[in-house]
Amino acid sequence: MARIIGGLGSPHAPSIGALIDAGDWDHPDWLPLMQGYRPMQRWLAARRPDAAILIYNDHVTSFFFDRYPTFALGVAAEHPIADEGFGPRPLPPVRGDADFAWHMAHALVEDGFDITVCQEMPLDHGALTPISALWPGREVQPELGWPTAILPLAVNVLQFPIPTPRRLWQLGGALRRAVEAYPRDYDVVVLGTGGLSHQLHGERFGFKNEAWDQEFLDRLEHDPQSLAALRVQDYVERSGVEGAEEIMWLAMRAALPERVRRVHRNYHGPLHTGFAQILFEDPSLAPILDTPPRVAQ
Amino acid sequence: MHELDPDTLPAGTYLNTGDAARQGYRLNRFCYDLRDPANRAAWQHDPEALLDRYAIDEADRALIRAHDWLGLVRRGANVFPLLRLSQLCGFGLAGTGAQMRGQTLEEYLSTRQARTS
Repeated sequence: MARIIGGLGSPHAPSIGALIDAGDWDHPDWLPLMQGYRPMQRWLAARRPDAAILIYNDHVTSFFFDRYPTFALGVAAEHPIADEGFGPRPLPPVRGDADFAWHMAHALVEDGFDITVCQEMPLDHGALTPISALWPGREVQPELGWPTAILPLAVNVLQFPIPTPRRLWQLGGALRRAVEAYPRDYDVVVLGTGGLSHQLHGERFGFKNEAWDQEFLDRLEHDPQSLAALRVQDYVERSGVEGAEEIMWLAMRAALPERVRRVHRNYHGPLHTGFAQILFEDPSLAPILDTPPRVAQ
Repeated sequence: MHELDPDTLPAGTYLNTGDAARQGYRLNRFCYDLRDPANRAAWQHDPEALLDRYAIDEADRALIRAHDWLGLVRRGANVFPLLRLSQLCGFGLAGTGAQMRGQTLEEYLSTRQARTS
């Protein structure tokens, strides 16, 4: 039967996609960040999940404020690469799994999550940055396609009211129940994307808070419900308005068992944003990576 | 409101909601539509004509002409559509942000570990 085998957290800044497209994985300013993807790539290559639920936000690309969904699920068999205004990235269209996606749509709505169901949802950097970093090479060899089907779930974190941290936590539980009701042998990972701390507007542009980011990562692993109990205002204050998107990581964590095995954790924040990567797996799986769990500074 | 205290936001923070969202709507629509290459070409050819088409008012036009990104945020522009305009005007993310902080790009980058943006 279908199961969730792990959860990954990744930033989704477009600057990372630009490095990837330029083949610039070794840029000295960004090496500690880009190297942070290597254990995640190895884990995914070994675990070979059938699908990844990608929790991200659109950056006013596929959706405008005329009608802005709080939760939108892309159910297509293929998701186009969006042109955000600078030309589309050189990536192949992102493979979906329509059968799985429609199952998830039904299961989520029946479970109380009245998502907007989208048959055409071009993906912008919020989705493309993490997948192009986790499954690299498609930017030079688009014919490789994508080894894992992507189920994009867009969350409004741009126009307030945004959903509450508690609601993202509940979403993760609903995702787990929906996956476990899918009647196929099917391995799923959940990707939480964005953040961590940053603010990109106003005189507070450039705000970062590494102490909070590290605390967030600690609590995400050991005490995630305490993060779900915080208010949106707490995230705005500690992580910045744009950094409040880190609540999307709560859905990833809530889709996993209470106790997880942390396989990887990394942090690097040299410019506007405190970037973090994390990888949790279901502890009932036999470990596969020889990389010991570590905290990189 | 339980989730937000609009009166005690951190200084230099502007929430995209309510009056700001309403006031910034046409401005955000104009910036959003710069995704379209035809609109980017129209901007290069005759910016005032494009602003006419979007019924952008004189106050916003003055801010756009002055490349006053902070002023536009205060008028309700959301940063993500706004970045399409600022980048079209030659400001990267760091340059747009530095101006919002009241700094030059060099001053802002000097506060950062990375010197490239």
